[in-house]
Amino acid sequence: MPDLIVIDRDGNETTVPSPSDRTVMEVIRDAGFDDMLALCGGCCSCATCHVFVDPAQADLLPAISADETDLLDTSNHRTEYSRLSCQIQLTESLSGLRVTLAPDD
Amino acid sequence: MQALEERDYFTDYEILKDPYAFFEAVRSHGPVYQPPGRDYLIVTGFAETLEVLKNSADFSAIIGVQGASAPLPFEPSGSDISEQVEAHRDRILGGDLLVNYDDDLHTKTRALLNRLFTPSRLKANERFIDEYSDEIARQMIARGGCELMRDVATPFVTLVIADLLGVPADDRQHFMNVIDAAPPPGSLNTEENDFRGENHPLTVMGGFFARYILERRANPREDILNEFAHSTYPDGSVPELEELVKMAAFLFGAGQDTSAKLLGNSIRYITDQPGLQDQLRADPSLIPQLLEEVLRLEGSTKQTARLARRDTRIGDRAVPAGTKILVALSAANRDGERWEEPNAFALNRPKIKEHLAFGRGKHVCAGAPLARVEVRIILEKFLAYTSNIDLDEAKHGPRGNRDLNYDPSFIVRGLTELHVKFTPAEGVDLSQASSQAETAQ
Repeated sequence: MPDLIVIDRDGNETTVPSPSDRTVMEVIRDAGFDDMLALCGGCCSCATCHVFVDPAQADLLPAISADETDLLDTSNHRTEYSRLSCQIQLTESLSGLRVTLAPDD
Repeated sequence: MQALEERDYFTDYEILKDPYAFFEAVRSHGPVYQPPGRDYLIVTGFAETLEVLKNSADFSAIIGVQGASAPLPFEPSGSDISEQVEAHRDRILGGDLLVNYDDDLHTKTRALLNRLFTPSRLKANERFIDEYSDEIARQMIARGGCELMRDVATPFVTLVIADLLGVPADDRQHFMNVIDAAPPPGSLNTEENDFRGENHPLTVMGGFFARYILERRANPREDILNEFAHSTYPDGSVPELEELVKMAAFLFGAGQDTSAKLLGNSIRYITDQPGLQDQLRADPSLIPQLLEEVLRLEGSTKQTARLARRDTRIGDRAVPAGTKILVALSAANRDGERWEEPNAFALNRPKIKEHLAFGRGKHVCAGAPLARVEVRIILEKFLAYTSNIDLDEAKHGPRGNRDLNYDPSFIVRGLTELHVKFTPAEGVDLSQASSQAETAQ
């Protein structure tokens, strides 16, 4: 079971064990983090599951798609470590991934 | 006389006309209320609705299709009825559909769907939507008026989803006829709520979709159904044919009805809100805002349902396992705790996209991006080619006292008919209608 480390908007850090084959968004949502709206449910159609990944781990992630980058551009808080968490599959090899929930847009 | 909140939401034709008044009467007792004589709770509060929709550990979606009033096929017992729910899943209406799934089965099945309506896919389909809506708008405006639901909304949304999925042209009319002949989803006539009949749209379309998927598994093509036919679960395993068939048929049926109703409800606001249509013509970039506000005030889905499968709480109210819950999305969207002047129409409300018309959480509507695109585009056309759109007073009465009929459904908020009159805009040549709709056939 891969672990996901989530830092919420208040700076609190929580380690969430997850079943395999979930997206990071699903793990965060199902763990009950109210800060994450995830309005579209994972269709890569909004930017409300925006997270910042730990800079040290950014290279481990799959490449960003054109759709994802367009959506991230709609956020006022985009940085080079921005990702939509619905587009990251939390595989065993990503266990220990640290993500910070982006501020509300 | 029986108090409004004590009447039966699931069968009452007066509530059908104005469900909002019913839910306000319920809300006067608090955001979570059990009307006398009913064996379910009604949740009308925005915060409480969110709480239920997001707490999928304690609340099962198993009764989403049959609704909160239909009896369970078992007697709930104990503080955790999860096993009982699973043991009876096949005896509950829609228990084998994604919309009613829970837990891992839901998450992995939903993952198949999440890849279908991405922005780039919709963009690729936008040309078809644009051409077809252009054609249909010009035709109807040249005619001076139409019955919007039959002449525009239903064929439009059906052809859009058919084109997007790759349903062959010859089968599209057949699908429309089958859907048209069937009772609405969530019929007020309880006996009609059976999916097993051989003429039910899901059964008929299921047969077609099985063939499409098998054909594509044998001979790949370039369309969404092809991608669907070759899709895998997140763990790499291959879905059963039946799972894909059920989902494709449901998608077609669900996408059809609710999007068509959204167009009807939008046109009604456009015609009845003083000054609104001119404002939208002057600045068409406001149309997405209009759609969100119509979704909030009069979204196509009035309610859904959940079953508490463990002893839990909603707000400070204890809710025992086995409690059925009517989740009144349309009431949450008019909760004064969340929305200023909740019953008033207003463009540019802050955080309007957080309305609950599409639900929230793991079951949130997967077709929302498609609905937003297609209804926006056709509204742009109707507004651009007219100087005025009005309802036909001979059919619906004057503004302020309209006579409108709604499909007899406890789920869908949708006009049965909407007779509309158009005044063409000056200088627009409506004869330019091209032959693109024929290509679309």
